[in-house]
Amino acid sequence: MKTEKLELVCPAGTPAALRAAVDAGADTVYCGFRDATNARNFPGLNFSREELGEGIEYARSHGSKVLVALNTYPEAGNPDPWHKAVEDAADLGAHALIMADLGLLAYAAEKRPDTRRHLSVQASASNPDAINYYKNTFDVKRVVLPRVLTVPEIAALNREIDVETEVFVFGGLCVMAEGRCSLSSYATGQSPNMNGVCSPASHVRYEDKGNKMVSKLGDFTINSFKESEAAGYPTLCKGRFVTQDKASYLFEDPTSLNAAQYLPELMEAGVTALKIEGRQRGKAYIAQVVAAFRKAADAAANGEAVPPLGLERITEGQRETTGAYNKRWQ
Amino acid sequence: MTSHKKGPVAPLSPVLLAGIAARPLPHKLLQPAFNAAIKQMHRQHPDVFDRLKSVNSPRFLIDPVDLPFSFVMDTLAEDPTLEIVDSDTDERELYTQAAIRGPLLLLIELLEGRIDGDALFFSRDLVVEGDTEAVLALRNAVDGADIDVHNDLLAFFGPLAKPADLAAQAAGNIFKRFTRDLETLSRATLAPLQRKCDAQAATIEELETTVNALKKQVRRRSGKTA
Repeated sequence: MKTEKLELVCPAGTPAALRAAVDAGADTVYCGFRDATNARNFPGLNFSREELGEGIEYARSHGSKVLVALNTYPEAGNPDPWHKAVEDAADLGAHALIMADLGLLAYAAEKRPDTRRHLSVQASASNPDAINYYKNTFDVKRVVLPRVLTVPEIAALNREIDVETEVFVFGGLCVMAEGRCSLSSYATGQSPNMNGVCSPASHVRYEDKGNKMVSKLGDFTINSFKESEAAGYPTLCKGRFVTQDKASYLFEDPTSLNAAQYLPELMEAGVTALKIEGRQRGKAYIAQVVAAFRKAADAAANGEAVPPLGLERITEGQRETTGAYNKRWQ
Repeated sequence: MTSHKKGPVAPLSPVLLAGIAARPLPHKLLQPAFNAAIKQMHRQHPDVFDRLKSVNSPRFLIDPVDLPFSFVMDTLAEDPTLEIVDSDTDERELYTQAAIRGPLLLLIELLEGRIDGDALFFSRDLVVEGDTEAVLALRNAVDGADIDVHNDLLAFFGPLAKPADLAAQAAGNIFKRFTRDLETLSRATLAPLQRKCDAQAATIEELETTVNALKKQVRRRSGKTA
């Protein structure tokens, strides 16, 4: 069924970024606690309990909602930090909890049934059977779809499920194995799935080698940028590796998703919400991207052409892609 | 000159020219002003330094590439310091955990959260070295703090804040005009070079197209003979 108006779901890594997102027109802001319970567990980032409470109040007073990401997988034998995060987020008045782990979903459904549950992209649910299972078992209200589906595939999926869908439209891309990627674990012993951090900064080094900058992750040299070449994040999936005497991006180019042009089609496909990636980015980025997508979503809702967003300068590698929305492979 | 500095090339700006003009002066004369500035920042934004405790309150080299000196910032939550160091100082003797290098105005915009640090890093306008975790923690701490250099420093002047504000605004206007003039001068100076570069880029593009066409022909022929 066609969506009349798309909900804009925006990231915030700090209280200042949350305010910036709300002020720029976010319908909804998602954020996490300052620990391993969320997949952006970076130093100096995220919210204390007190900050989250103030953030929820600020959002509410401006007509916006706050979602709390608890989207890592609890450690075996140590579920307490995740359970406490469920309880605290619900007590503070979060509109919904974004989770991936079956056990945590079960806990939240049983203990805090009145707080909405969203299925994180980390669960990688991309077919009707999987999504309906989460819906029927844990009464999940929304699923964040992995970045592997074309627009027609999303439309077909929406016809077979009775759950809201949220899709990524802007920001960093993973190599489409969300919740299952072990590259960061392999290089550093830490991963987004368990520790909430991909390629942790504590394992990243940049070295000035005269006319080039070399980035290293753990013991691996993963890239080398010439003087004027745009750089990307120091993740293994975006590393440049030498095969057959030629250095190239084997997994994925350093580039950002920008699916603004597909907003009218995503509305036709029955998508409920648009997600902007980037809780690790600064408040200036948040303000600029949210304002641009606010205009784009409003234009799409009014049946007008989506305006150019002018976000190239702030994208990873200073390049954009429409990702899987326009993929021509199986 | 400051051209020997590491990091991004300093842009032609009033900051660069002021730095060159100030080079003969002993930079330590400015130290009391920076002592006052860091104390003021500590008073206004103690949370920045509190957040850095989680990464053991690192010591940073802050290097404005368009000035003939740098800063060493010690982020101890109780008593942070900002010390001027000469560009010729051996950086290994500064015992900093990380270095952040970029043009002064970009560093100030970053401090105020008016520009995104990752975007500056992608465009190579900002260079970081050393302990990346410390740099990330600092970036996140200042980005979350709503720092406003102008207003924060004005608060330091107490009852003299209003005249200080007027003086700062006048200086700001002169600075903006001078920046525009320098940009015009820079465009005029570089125009002949730019034309040459554009012509060379067009020739290279033509050659690439020819080479690609030839490669295709070779591939087709070798396919036929195989």
